[in-house]
Amino acid sequence: MPPAMLRRLASRTVVYALLALIALWLVGPFLWLFVTSVSYQRNLLARPLAFIPPEVTLDNYRMVVGVVRFHAEGQAAKILPSMLNSLIVATAVTVVNLVIGTTAGYAYARFRVPLKTFSLFALLFTRMLPTVVLIPAYFLLFRALGLQNTLTGLVLAYCSFTLPFTVWIMKAYFETIPTDLDKSALVDGCNRLQAYYWVVLPVSGPGLVASGAFTFMLCWNEFIVAQVLNTKLGTTTLPPVIAGMNAQINIDYSVIAASGFLAALPAVLLVLGFQKYMVQGLTAGSIKG
Amino acid sequence: MTVRRFRLSERCFASLLILPVFLAISLVVLFPLAYSLWMSFADVNLLRATGPALELLGLRIPLFRYVGLQNYLRLLSDPLYWDSFGRTAYFVGAFVLETTVVGLGMALVLHERFVGRPVMRSLLLIPWSLSRVVVGLLWVGLLDVEFGALNGFLYKAGLIDRYISFLKSGFSALNVLVSVYMWNQAPFATLLLLAGMQSIPIELYMAAEADGAGYWQRLRYVTLPALRGILFLVLVVSTVNGFLMLDLIYVLTMGGPGNETTTISWLGFQTAFQFFKFGPGTAILYTLTVFCLLLTVLYQKVMFRKLEAEEA
Repeated sequence: MPPAMLRRLASRTVVYALLALIALWLVGPFLWLFVTSVSYQRNLLARPLAFIPPEVTLDNYRMVVGVVRFHAEGQAAKILPSMLNSLIVATAVTVVNLVIGTTAGYAYARFRVPLKTFSLFALLFTRMLPTVVLIPAYFLLFRALGLQNTLTGLVLAYCSFTLPFTVWIMKAYFETIPTDLDKSALVDGCNRLQAYYWVVLPVSGPGLVASGAFTFMLCWNEFIVAQVLNTKLGTTTLPPVIAGMNAQINIDYSVIAASGFLAALPAVLLVLGFQKYMVQGLTAGSIKG
Repeated sequence: MTVRRFRLSERCFASLLILPVFLAISLVVLFPLAYSLWMSFADVNLLRATGPALELLGLRIPLFRYVGLQNYLRLLSDPLYWDSFGRTAYFVGAFVLETTVVGLGMALVLHERFVGRPVMRSLLLIPWSLSRVVVGLLWVGLLDVEFGALNGFLYKAGLIDRYISFLKSGFSALNVLVSVYMWNQAPFATLLLLAGMQSIPIELYMAAEADGAGYWQRLRYVTLPALRGILFLVLVVSTVNGFLMLDLIYVLTMGGPGNETTTISWLGFQTAFQFFKFGPGTAILYTLTVFCLLLTVLYQKVMFRKLEAEEA
């Protein structure tokens, strides 16, 4: 073999070896979560450990959804209702974001807004703000408003960290749509609101999908706010319930893994399903500032 | 006619479009932020709302007893705060370093030509899309001293004869937190860097190759300089994320063993929500907020400079 070809072969080998390593690093842990969720705890404790499970079972999932009774069924019984709560909160926040965040993004992309620099800075700061510093205030304000342990309270709190992102992503997206489109709509007799609603929005699907999916993902995954604000039984979302199971030593890891996998799946499928738009939207939103 | 109407009401229309977001942000961010700031100067008693109160739209918002800088002064003389400060500095430094190095490394490999590129890019999204609660318990499955798969692997390979307890010593636990958080966050840095690499004109590489530049020279003189802006973005974002990390600590270590994985954000969280001392808690969290404000100013300065450079 000529040396040039040999060198090429060597460099290809290195690239594919590194790719295999990266793939293992990225999905290995997640796949292992699935493996443990269909294993019996006794097989996980065995030494040497079998990486291909000797017995496969859905018992852990049965326990989690409450079909099979076990000693910690009280804990497991919270999973499905809290999943519903997560769904409600995440959907509501996404809708709010898409309605009001998108219009603001449009205004920033197109018009001379009063206090533009300052308000954009305020949004950027909000994006970088530790949400946890707001929780003491939410705690007392929601107590005064009677919003403690309600999903409405969570929806309000979640808007604090999602809105800045939505405005940012949509601003970057609208900037890619030529202004001629709005102008020709105005010439055709639309008023400005109609131009936005009937002409610009219909071609903004990718941006809307990107910010909507991202908002949903952030809310679905949020843990600290829900953990602190909604402590009453049945009012919290999925992550605090799973963290609570994880903290109990009498629950087998395989059962926790099953609930973790159930919690992860919707977010992973959502992101993989909309990856094209999300990657575009988020990189544009981040890089353009 | 239409054109004239367009000009006249432009500012008004734009303000109307922005109004809902600004009302929302004022209500759920600015007002709570101000209230938390007030609490950091107050003696907050959650059981008895003593002292003056703010009457607002029929709501009674307790203002508690003003104590001036007391919360902050106590904090600054508390060795635990300074220990946490040091650990936070280590955590942020190690996290930023790992995220940048691994993020850039993955981006360089994924930018090569190979079969199955779209699949590899999808895989990047998996660690990033998981809830940190799931990230935490998933790594428990890998690192646990009784059933951890990594322990199982090392044991099987004959590298250890007893399972290692990765979270037992404080320093090791802190490094585990750094790496697990990096596992979760580095893929996003990779996505940003890949987007940056794609926008480098191919002619630059061709010119470099014509000049006889090898892989590392092309990296040093073409790729890295072109990625400067995005690398800066990655540094700032990961610094902020490092300062704020909380949920993984909750799931993996609870700040322990002892206080050895207690960072400022965990100390603030613990003080406010486990000991229910809102005054000192908000004071701790506000020192964190000031860092974030400074980083935002820095970030915005550089971003604006970049934008001006682009326009020029």
